[in-house]
Amino acid sequence: MPELSIVLAGLADAFTLTNLFFVFIGVVLGQFVGAVPGIGPVMAMAIAIPFTFGLDALVAIGFLMGVNKGGLVGGAIPAILMNTPGTPDAAATALDGYPLAMQGKPLKATKMALFSSITGDTFSDLVLITVSAPLAVLALCMGPVEVMGLIILAFCVIAGLIGNSVSKGIIAAALGMLAATVGTDPQHATPRFYFGYFEIYDGLPLAAVAIGMLAISEILRRMGENAGVIKAGIAIRDTGNPADQRISWAEYWSCRYTMLRGTIIGTILGALPGIGSTAAAFMSYAGARQASSEPETYGKGSLHGIAASESANSAVMGANLIPLLTLGIPGSVGAALIISAFMIHGIQPGPLLFEKQGQLIYGLFGSMILANMLNLLVGQIGMRFWIKVVSAPETIIFPTALLLCFVGVSLASGGIFGIAIMLIFAVLGFVMNALGISVVIFIIAFFLGPRLEESLSQTLALLNGDVWALLNYPIALALVAMSAVTLVMIRRKSRT
Amino acid sequence: MNNMTDRLCGLFFVLFGLMLFFYLIPTQIETVDYGAIRPKTMPQILAVIIGVFGFILMVKPADGSNLQPMPWGRSSLIVAVLSGGLWLISLFGFIFMAPFLALVLMVIMGERRPLWLGLGVVGMPALIWFAVTILLERPLP
Repeated sequence: MPELSIVLAGLADAFTLTNLFFVFIGVVLGQFVGAVPGIGPVMAMAIAIPFTFGLDALVAIGFLMGVNKGGLVGGAIPAILMNTPGTPDAAATALDGYPLAMQGKPLKATKMALFSSITGDTFSDLVLITVSAPLAVLALCMGPVEVMGLIILAFCVIAGLIGNSVSKGIIAAALGMLAATVGTDPQHATPRFYFGYFEIYDGLPLAAVAIGMLAISEILRRMGENAGVIKAGIAIRDTGNPADQRISWAEYWSCRYTMLRGTIIGTILGALPGIGSTAAAFMSYAGARQASSEPETYGKGSLHGIAASESANSAVMGANLIPLLTLGIPGSVGAALIISAFMIHGIQPGPLLFEKQGQLIYGLFGSMILANMLNLLVGQIGMRFWIKVVSAPETIIFPTALLLCFVGVSLASGGIFGIAIMLIFAVLGFVMNALGISVVIFIIAFFLGPRLEESLSQTLALLNGDVWALLNYPIALALVAMSAVTLVMIRRKSRT
Repeated sequence: MNNMTDRLCGLFFVLFGLMLFFYLIPTQIETVDYGAIRPKTMPQILAVIIGVFGFILMVKPADGSNLQPMPWGRSSLIVAVLSGGLWLISLFGFIFMAPFLALVLMVIMGERRPLWLGLGVVGMPALIWFAVTILLERPLP
């Protein structure tokens, strides 16, 4: 543990005017790119890293943290206002945010997203600051067998999202996992289903698949329903009740357990490399719906649904840095970009980082807290601004959103080919929506599928045919037992 | 009618599962005979799951409450426009084709006001070009 003087010096560095300015710029930029479907904070960070060469290490990393945190908040805005998530993490937010906006309460929905996002993020940052080392040791104990147990648990929790047709839910998950098998297989690097297109040797790009199925398919539906009548991008009905445009303390406080659950899920998943904020958001959402005494309100504009999703996906952010700062292992693409920023500035992440760069690390922690405060401030103003923007005629909103998705996916996943994949999956998403087959389950299975296959092959190699060897992995057994309990609870809930 | 939609949907998945198992997997994945999980294992498991649950859907359809009426005609037209636009972008570039693509989409949606058309056709593509090419120094498609 560094001395108090180093901690204070680091915090003082964080609160300098220069650092404050760049964190602010990062948050504004992050909220902007997060709100644009197709771009997102990760790509914005990737693009921004080269521009940080000339900056001081703390200022550069603080700026990137601002972009990432701002992007998580920004991603919820189009999800709520247009049902087109700016980032895959925000897809679960759209499930309740969009219906609430349609009820004439867009500011209530966006503010709930903002407050729960800041709550989850701040809690996660505090966990990072206080208990990062012990949690990193726990994460290091998670071998392939435990990771497989965790992914099985994730699938069981997500089973709670299956609607009234179990067959369709399972087919959606199988189709998602099938799409994830495109590219080289994790054990032998043998190409699968690439049909002569070497562009998909590394698999289908997540950005193209997620944006195609979630954003473009929805835009196709909305544009298709437009029969030559010009309407606003969203029809915000003014209820005339000021209470519908704000979140009262009572409403915020009533979601405390939902946010706490989401924050804990996000923090735990964030500390484990490779799971990601999208899975955390959906697990939290499914968990909140199962635990709710009014599960029928979910999907119809429930504040708890928004709080569950946003608190979890934002809580991943801080926890992602736990394995990064203490072990040098990036927990996500965003964390990998932060590592590259560290290395650009001559800093080697790992166990010695707290000892050798204590002042910088506590400066980074200070910058993260600062970014949260600025996120709240910028968000309070930005939400109103974005509602004005998407209130423009949908004849300009949707073509612009389509062009931005074209450009965003092209930048993120390799040019024209990535856009073509996006269009194919947009059509698939449109058809699946028409048939009542869950696109959300498809996306989660697509995301978790490669991790399941990889951990399964490693587990089988480790066990070497000896089932009893599983007894040597108590954490994995506990996770499988939790999966079974989850399934039983879902079954009971669906009967009541 | 809803039952029939689900039954046809189930039939499609049965046929898709069979085609996957007996045609696509053998022709699109090389045979590897070692390792804990072979490259074909996971796709084969998934093909069986899709086929079996497709069959269950066929014989025991859902109540139809999750089916959504969709604007198939106009949405197909927009997909065709986007595909054509993508092809033209691949030939002539985003800068030259994006305004035309935006114009066609806006006209299909019924926009006729010159100011809004100008904003969508010239303003927004120019803003995207400025943000991506000038500010971010990244190439447009």
